[in-house]
Amino acid sequence: MDYRQTEIVLSARDVVIKFTLRGKTLTAIRGVSLDLYKGESLAIVGESGSGKSVFTKSFMGMLDANGWVDSGEILYEGKNIARYKTEKEWLEIRGKEIAMVFQDPMTSLNPLKTVGLQIRETVELHRKTANAALTVSALKASETKAIALEILRDVGITEPERRYNQYPHELSGGMRQRVVIAVAVACRPNVLICDEPTTALDVTIQAQILALLRRLQEKYRLTIVYITHDLGVVANVADRIAVMYAGDVVECGACDEIFYDPQHPYTWALLSSLPQLGVKGEPLFAIRGAPPSLYKEIRGDAFAPRNPYALLIDFEERPPWFEVSPTHKARTWLLDPRAPRVTPPPLIARIRERRERREAADDAR
Amino acid sequence: MERGCFVIVKYAFSRFLRSLVTLLIVTAAVFFMLRLMPEEGYFAESYDKMTRGQIEAELTRMGLRDPLHVQLSNYLKNTLRGDLGTSNIVRRYVPIVQVIGPKIPYSVGFGLTTIAISLALGIPLGMLMARRKGRLPDSLGSAYVVFVRAVPAAVCFIFLQLYGSSFLKVPMLFSLSRPLSWILPTVCMALGPTANYAMWMRRYMVDELNKDYIKLARAKGMKNSAVMSRHVLRNAFVPMAQLLPASILLTITGSIYVESLFSIPGMGGLLVTAIQRQDNTLVQALVLIFSCVGIVGLFLGDILMAIVDPRIKLEKKGGSR
Repeated sequence: MDYRQTEIVLSARDVVIKFTLRGKTLTAIRGVSLDLYKGESLAIVGESGSGKSVFTKSFMGMLDANGWVDSGEILYEGKNIARYKTEKEWLEIRGKEIAMVFQDPMTSLNPLKTVGLQIRETVELHRKTANAALTVSALKASETKAIALEILRDVGITEPERRYNQYPHELSGGMRQRVVIAVAVACRPNVLICDEPTTALDVTIQAQILALLRRLQEKYRLTIVYITHDLGVVANVADRIAVMYAGDVVECGACDEIFYDPQHPYTWALLSSLPQLGVKGEPLFAIRGAPPSLYKEIRGDAFAPRNPYALLIDFEERPPWFEVSPTHKARTWLLDPRAPRVTPPPLIARIRERRERREAADDAR
Repeated sequence: MERGCFVIVKYAFSRFLRSLVTLLIVTAAVFFMLRLMPEEGYFAESYDKMTRGQIEAELTRMGLRDPLHVQLSNYLKNTLRGDLGTSNIVRRYVPIVQVIGPKIPYSVGFGLTTIAISLALGIPLGMLMARRKGRLPDSLGSAYVVFVRAVPAAVCFIFLQLYGSSFLKVPMLFSLSRPLSWILPTVCMALGPTANYAMWMRRYMVDELNKDYIKLARAKGMKNSAVMSRHVLRNAFVPMAQLLPASILLTITGSIYVESLFSIPGMGGLLVTAIQRQDNTLVQALVLIFSCVGIVGLFLGDILMAIVDPRIKLEKKGGSR
């Protein structure tokens, strides 16, 4: 599917997000531009501290009190929500337009309220705002309960009638994450941000939750943003991938393009360190060094000091975007026509070969 | 609902039995400690004039020369019958029940007033501090809490008594017929609990505010004010529910220091007198009453907590938190 032709829901332009911490200023997001297309699944991947969570939180005005959008715009349906300040403005976005699923289902639910009540509360919140003429009382308790039960059924909870009256501690982790998703879906949002939705769950449950999210995406016509550091999760669900490093998107493209034709050395490094792609008997690749301090101004490519393929210019000037295909672009000087040819790490070369062989086989058929 | 009344009653009953055991241990401990007190404590001034033989005869009459286990079982039996013994010094030969009885209304009266004031001021103060965390109201509130808790009560109360009485033109000591004289003791007594309630409330609310489910509630588009009232406040009351009954009951039994400072004829003041004048039986009875109240307070706290917090496992030993 060519996303260029579809509608943009949310568009971030040169977003800079800063925090003050113990009197010092930290730049968490350094001028990120990213478009979100209607109905797609976009995965934002990157290591801890790369700013993927912070970036998406700014779409909902959920930054911590010491953080702010310093410059740039976030356009949602033509409105620049980066300029929103008051709670009243954000209430037009939160839940109603963009909802969020958090990482840890064990702590994301109020332990003292029944599952049913927490979903119903959400239903009431948004049916009211959805139709200004209707007051809360216009929606009867029995109706909100029916809606809540339907959503519980939608998220694959068995015996919804019984679960409705249970407390979160009576449910397993996977069940709770389903309830958290139910709460998010009950808002009837356009965009659903899933912040590491499966990190806290065990592997068998992970797959179920991802399948559930795909199903809900169809039924409720959601645009989903996955935030994760697990490329395995990404491969299963994402249409498009944005790779973040030190507060910047370094590469962005369709899922296949990122996995089979990565361009940025950081993406190479990420893929090379995937255990699933490793070769038996060989030591697993690890990226040397540590990410840069966000307190200091970063010159050139943030990844340069850890990058064995770094060019001199990588330490001097920030690389611009280079287009690889209409849907695929990367921020690395290696793509500049003047740059020397480098051979990517053996693993990446292998992946490319494998893909070419597969394509050849497809063509032959 | 699976947790019916029956489960709560069952839980309450087992808790009650445990409280009884605690009470028995406390009673025995008090009893044995009082046996270690000098025997003058069973006689008035006449002790010095009595011969050794007379003293022995009197102690035997009182049963104090019986073997310890006999003494203990007699003491327990009498206590169960509501007979706490006889005062020997403070009011010679008057049954202790009659010594304490008239004191109760004073302590309970002051205690209830204090609690009402402390709850009415402390809880809203704590809520305000939590909502304006890190800003002026929070700093002022914290200053108050730290001040009250750090400055020794003795200093604080005497200061209030001295300057308060001259500033407000009210009497320094309590007298039943002059309601104005009730103000200062109540203020003194309310100082501590108000600070405690404010501190607890703030602390538990801030605890809740930092939890993930608050993030989810905000992310689903709930107003901050609604998040506060529907999630934070309610959940912050759970740990409060455990602390409040004990705090309330202990206030009702009278403040030892305030009562003696303002000459209020309550139970707290009586304890001071009884200790000063070494009235062993009276001390024993009062300590027993105070510990009873404490145990009942803890018991009620546990029950209340079980009612408001669904996570507490009622059936098995050892709760989930």
